[in-house]
Amino acid sequence: MQRLSYSQIQGELNAERMAALPPFRTAVLRNVVIEPIEPYLRYLAYQVGSNLRCEFSEYDNVFQEAVGGHKGILNGHIDCVLVFIKLDNLSWDLARRFASLPPERIEGEKERIKAFITSVLTGIRKQTAALILWGGFELPIHPSLGIVDYQQKSGQTACVTELNQFLRDALQAHKNAYVLDLNGCLARVGAKNFYDPRYWHIGKAPYSREALEEISNEVFKYIRPLKGKNKKCLVLDCDNVLWGGIVGEEGLGGIKLGRTYPGSAYCEFQQEILNLYHRGVVLALCSKNNAEDVWEVFRQHPDMLLRKEHIAAAQLNWRDKVTNLRQIAADLNLSLESFVFLDDSPFEIGQVRQYLPEVEVVQLPLDRAVEYRDIVAAGGWFDTLTISEEDKQRGAMYRAEAARKELQMQSQDLEGYYSSLEMVLEIRFADQFSIPRIAQLTQKTNQFTLTTRRYSDAQIQELSQSDSADVIYLQLKDRFGESGLTGVCILKYDGDRALIDSFLLSCRVLGRGVEDAFLVQCMNRAKWRGCASAIGEYRPTAKNDQVKDFYSKRNFKPVATVNGTGCFELDLAAFEETEPSFFKRIDSNLVKSRAEERDA
Amino acid sequence: MKEKVFQVVSQVFGVQIDELREDSSPDTIQAWDSLKHMNLVLALEEEFGVRFSDEKIMQMLSVGLITEAVQELMP
Repeated sequence: MQRLSYSQIQGELNAERMAALPPFRTAVLRNVVIEPIEPYLRYLAYQVGSNLRCEFSEYDNVFQEAVGGHKGILNGHIDCVLVFIKLDNLSWDLARRFASLPPERIEGEKERIKAFITSVLTGIRKQTAALILWGGFELPIHPSLGIVDYQQKSGQTACVTELNQFLRDALQAHKNAYVLDLNGCLARVGAKNFYDPRYWHIGKAPYSREALEEISNEVFKYIRPLKGKNKKCLVLDCDNVLWGGIVGEEGLGGIKLGRTYPGSAYCEFQQEILNLYHRGVVLALCSKNNAEDVWEVFRQHPDMLLRKEHIAAAQLNWRDKVTNLRQIAADLNLSLESFVFLDDSPFEIGQVRQYLPEVEVVQLPLDRAVEYRDIVAAGGWFDTLTISEEDKQRGAMYRAEAARKELQMQSQDLEGYYSSLEMVLEIRFADQFSIPRIAQLTQKTNQFTLTTRRYSDAQIQELSQSDSADVIYLQLKDRFGESGLTGVCILKYDGDRALIDSFLLSCRVLGRGVEDAFLVQCMNRAKWRGCASAIGEYRPTAKNDQVKDFYSKRNFKPVATVNGTGCFELDLAAFEETEPSFFKRIDSNLVKSRAEERDA
Repeated sequence: MKEKVFQVVSQVFGVQIDELREDSSPDTIQAWDSLKHMNLVLALEEEFGVRFSDEKIMQMLSVGLITEAVQELMP
């Protein structure tokens, strides 16, 4: 998405096309004037397909709203709560006259603020389970005791730091509640540009336009993964991106890549990419080169930090990049919407932007390789709310997927291919270790998902403990490695009927019959609980067309269509417990054996 | 330059450019309140690469006055 000015953004927002998008209701509790942030938030929301609306608490009415429900803006319909409490308006003493305070007064103020935080947070949570993003207190730019302040345990900087630690702990004790790192925003923008003293005095609005833009970006680093819109795959050009110069012309020894200038810019850039890889970002190459030239650099260049094993897919040829990006998406079974594409050529960037608008394209500025590292680090495209063990191993999983594809090409028939994978399925109920990953999967899965219902950690926890629901997950292993937790089914029980509330699989296990085995196991579970029938739903979205016939192809009878949602019913009494035969083993504990049942 | 001022005012307040006149002001444009005035100031400063004094911000309360204020700061 190209950067628009503040004025252009407001012009765009006037166009009515946003009204049709699903709403994203945001309550803003604040003790400062921060209304001018709304256009930035609305525009970012528009990019993830939501119509964001802010409802602001009355000025400096945070406590009244949180604890007393003063204006009623915190209610069951709210999707997100933003909290902006500036210390200057909460405690003039701590913020502005710290040097003249006796120690007991400082302690008193700290205690008062901690109690305030606790009450407000509890108050919010009583009213809504929505995402809470709470701006931390900004550290003093010019501490009241000057250079001495930072040295002291009892200084102003230490005091604000202590309050921020308290805030972080308080938020961590709740699900779905996070500190918004305003000090990080402040550092990136720079204090001189972060504050607007004119509007602080005119209207108690402390933040500059640049600050509001940066804060909005920070907010969306949380909202994007919540909405399943975070990016998953970074596609890289090679020449003048991973190294300086053109390897086909200058040769292995001629390209710029090394520990010292000018190659150091590319080395640092590669390190940043490698860091993303270790956070679970899938890496791919898309470059107009002779493939062998590129792989020679990967193999032989001593300062190459990226190795071939980090690359999940590569299109190194002379075709256009639009075709190649589509091919990479197909190879990896990932949607183009989850791609970020980096290139130095305005032509390639322009072409991809035109034909594949769903791809986030980033043009690396010509002749400014020294800035590449910051550009990729600042993007925030890949941020997730948690980083699981799964994430860390994702790169290896996608490489294994590529190896599977190769085997598939060699195998004659599909069943034979499946058997040759030696797949082992493990199907289990959610437990405390799997809950974060299960929630993450419900948030991120867009394609193989029948209902696309998003759940937070807290909601999955609640469902998994409920007597009238089962949260079931699957893990898949094969001869190439572990795919990890890649499938979720949520069953809700109503009398003798089981409602399949959610049924979803990660794209990386599709195309090998896992969905059939998983459905059979889940239906066996429903039968074992005494259900006579199971109801499956298909809620169509822009992304899940591939599963529209999922139930009808598996002996479910269509019974009704309500508001576009199709309902399908399976008669469990007549249900045949046949599973695909090509799994090496299906290891499930959903149903006790008949012997155990008799004993019970 | 004048055209650009009109464009910014139009974008910020969501009114058509041809509805705007030199004497358009908070009295004639419904959306132009003190909060939206801040959006307008921030937008103008970005578009023209200028920075108004706090006094000027309080005074530039019509399209004509805004144009003058921008002109004063342009090289």
